[in-house]
Amino acid sequence: MLRDITIGQYYPTKSCIHRLDPRTKIVGTMLYIVSLFLFRSFSGFLVVGTAFAGILILSHVPFRYMLRGLKPILMILAFTVLCNFFLTDGEILWKWKFLKITKEGLQRGAFMGIRLVLLIFGTSLMTYTTTPNQLTDGLEKLLSPLKVIHFPVHEMAMMMSIALRFIPILTEEADRIRKAQMARGADMESGGVIRRAKAMVPVLIPLIVSAFRRAFDLAMAMEARCYHGGKGRTKMKPLRYGLRDLFGYLYLACYLATVILLRVWQKI
Amino acid sequence: MIPVWVKGLVHDYVTRDEEGNKAEVKRALDHVDLNVEEGQFIAVLGANGSGKSTLAKHINALLLPTDGQVLTCDMDTADDRYLWEIRKSAGMVFQNPDNQIVASVVEEDVGFGPENLGVPTEEIVSRVRDCLAAVGMSKYGENSPNHLSGGQKQRVAIAGILAMEPKCILMDEPTAMLDPIGRREVLETVHRLNREKGITVILITHYMEEVIDADRIFVMSAGKVAMQGTPREIFARSEELRELRLEVPQAAELAHELAKRGISMPPAVLSAEEFAEAYKCAVSGKTTAKLTESPKSGASLEESRQDCPENNIGLSENGSKEPLLSLRDVRYVYGTGTAYETVAVDGVTLDLFPGEYVGLIGHTGSGKSTLIQMMNGLERATSGTVSYQGEDIFRDGYDRRALRSSVGLVFQYPDHQLFESTVLADVSFGPKNQGLSEEEIRERAEWALRLVGVSEDRWQSSPLELSGGQKRRVAIAGVLAMKPKILILDEPTAGLDPAGRDEILGEIDRIRRETGMTVVLVSHRMEDVARFADRLMVMDDGHLVYAEPPREVFKHREKLTSIGLEVPQVTRIMQMLAADGIPCRSDAITVAEALENLCATEAAVD
Repeated sequence: MLRDITIGQYYPTKSCIHRLDPRTKIVGTMLYIVSLFLFRSFSGFLVVGTAFAGILILSHVPFRYMLRGLKPILMILAFTVLCNFFLTDGEILWKWKFLKITKEGLQRGAFMGIRLVLLIFGTSLMTYTTTPNQLTDGLEKLLSPLKVIHFPVHEMAMMMSIALRFIPILTEEADRIRKAQMARGADMESGGVIRRAKAMVPVLIPLIVSAFRRAFDLAMAMEARCYHGGKGRTKMKPLRYGLRDLFGYLYLACYLATVILLRVWQKI
Repeated sequence: MIPVWVKGLVHDYVTRDEEGNKAEVKRALDHVDLNVEEGQFIAVLGANGSGKSTLAKHINALLLPTDGQVLTCDMDTADDRYLWEIRKSAGMVFQNPDNQIVASVVEEDVGFGPENLGVPTEEIVSRVRDCLAAVGMSKYGENSPNHLSGGQKQRVAIAGILAMEPKCILMDEPTAMLDPIGRREVLETVHRLNREKGITVILITHYMEEVIDADRIFVMSAGKVAMQGTPREIFARSEELRELRLEVPQAAELAHELAKRGISMPPAVLSAEEFAEAYKCAVSGKTTAKLTESPKSGASLEESRQDCPENNIGLSENGSKEPLLSLRDVRYVYGTGTAYETVAVDGVTLDLFPGEYVGLIGHTGSGKSTLIQMMNGLERATSGTVSYQGEDIFRDGYDRRALRSSVGLVFQYPDHQLFESTVLADVSFGPKNQGLSEEEIRERAEWALRLVGVSEDRWQSSPLELSGGQKRRVAIAGVLAMKPKILILDEPTAGLDPAGRDEILGEIDRIRRETGMTVVLVSHRMEDVARFADRLMVMDDGHLVYAEPPREVFKHREKLTSIGLEVPQVTRIMQMLAADGIPCRSDAITVAEALENLCATEAAVD
């Protein structure tokens, strides 16, 4: 199941979107999310969808990759849509016992569904086109003003990038531990929720012990390589805005202007 | 400049109780003196727990002396001001390749050290490029470390140290978790750096064959330097080494034994080639005519027999007995339909018979791990059948969970299965899953623990507090307690020192003899499997290449070399001697066998 999650996975090609500065992409994505929640009608989504489609084409990420990213949230999506279908009051179209479908419900359900899908599309496009390390670098740089109030920006970024580095290692290790316990007759596949949760104990304990050991080892290895926090540190790949990012921000500005104008004048 | 100068170094590990009082003091280093000259290649040998890693941490100022003094590149490690300068001058490579790579991209990881040192960006980029080239990893700069082999990861770690421009590289068992190919890659890399860049290297290891090219060897035992000298001086003292839980390579051992029996061999030989030369000299007093005339004293049992047809190579002519487990044309494909599709196991057919001892050998990625996981149904074969006692284990409704107590599989790392608070409870996990009665569970757990030789006073301690060898035993007991008919062990000796390794192998052989279990031993050390295995199965690239008695397999030395495997050193020696016309058994597979044969040859020539 873990293998199905494509959010947070990088799609390696060399498009102009991939080469944008991560800060541009983070700011852009934030703006995109905010705009999604500004609109109250379907025509608003047309604007958002068009803006998104433009970026998607430029990024060379195939559309089916986008769809694949929806798979893990399919349950949440269905739940949201159905809740809206059944629980909205209004003009009743169909009724059976306590269940009813209203016209407003259908509208709201579809509306929420599209909003959620566009939300996932936007964020996964960012992770498809930005490596986790670039993302952390971008966040570190964007949040660096917070250093003034002694917020540990560098440490947070370092923690994030180490976590990202160890996720695949620990996933693989969890799989190996699971097999080692299954070889001793552990039953991981049958029984109810509680039994299954109990069956996880023999997997979780070795995994946690190992994670701690890795943490100690890594801390020592980092110290041995002269790591002493963010002070006096230089960057091998410092972030630099290019001409490309100027165009990126121009695009964003145009988008923002369109959204505001439509909101104010058309009230959509 | 003196890279490392250690005088009277003492280190105590102190455990404190809740009130912060000293509860236990363990002396890890006990007045160690050590002196390393610039540009040398130094090896520090020692069994597990001899204090060698602690020593390395002192040189890198990761630990500070309880008593005594350590100077690294003329700087006192106890002086705070020099801390970063010391760590920059004496870089350290650790044992576990995964736990020392910080970044998710190879080149960024190599740049991590210089970044910490505040080196300007342009220079970091050029250093990273040069250092990756120096370890032969230029092609992988933009890769994720997760897709590299163990040997490649260690080379990245070395490049990461090099990028800080150190004068000295410390390596703490850098090859312990690698297969022979990875080990060779790493050693060749450090030797080249030592030769070409004049970097002082301190290699900590318990593998003797890694230290033959060292300038000087220090042997540690119980926190002290027990011996020091050149490899030749050290190898001549094989009995003492054995007492320190170490061993000499087979060539040295054989030469030593021959010398004891009055054949004039030099006190220490380092390699198979050297042995062959020395032995030829020793017997050259006798006329060459006599040598060629003398009867070929059993020169190999029979000349290589007809090769079996490829598809039933794993079947033995053991026709009378019913096989316990049979694999027929088994295939396993990973990631079907994706770009990463790989055939891990390709058309393997083999039988395992009751009571036999099978060695399974092959380098990392040859498919041996997948193969053993199909034997107990943990992985489902893509095609082909696996049957246990004549029943297809992948048919619907077959109880694969019950199968796993009959086909016991012990994974490589004991840490992956130990989870209970006491040893006894942990070993009881298997029988408990079998649904046995409380009484029987306890009985079986105790039986298994006794069988692997874990003494009773350890049964109530936490499995996490045990030494590596003891953990390994508890892990094996955890599977034995289910009373399997087949016991499969994946690399049971990885990371153990020579004596620990021999002890475990001895236990396994004894268990087989006492219980009549079928044993499958997965290993990449030919010497380990040669001694005990009835049959040796060799995997390469998903195929089963050989399944014959070890003696027969070792005849295909060239083929084995081409797939990255070596015959035992002693077999190689005998093959070299036989090729030079010395009438000896070219198929000897243990030191004892070779010794007996060479003594007989010598006598025949006289």
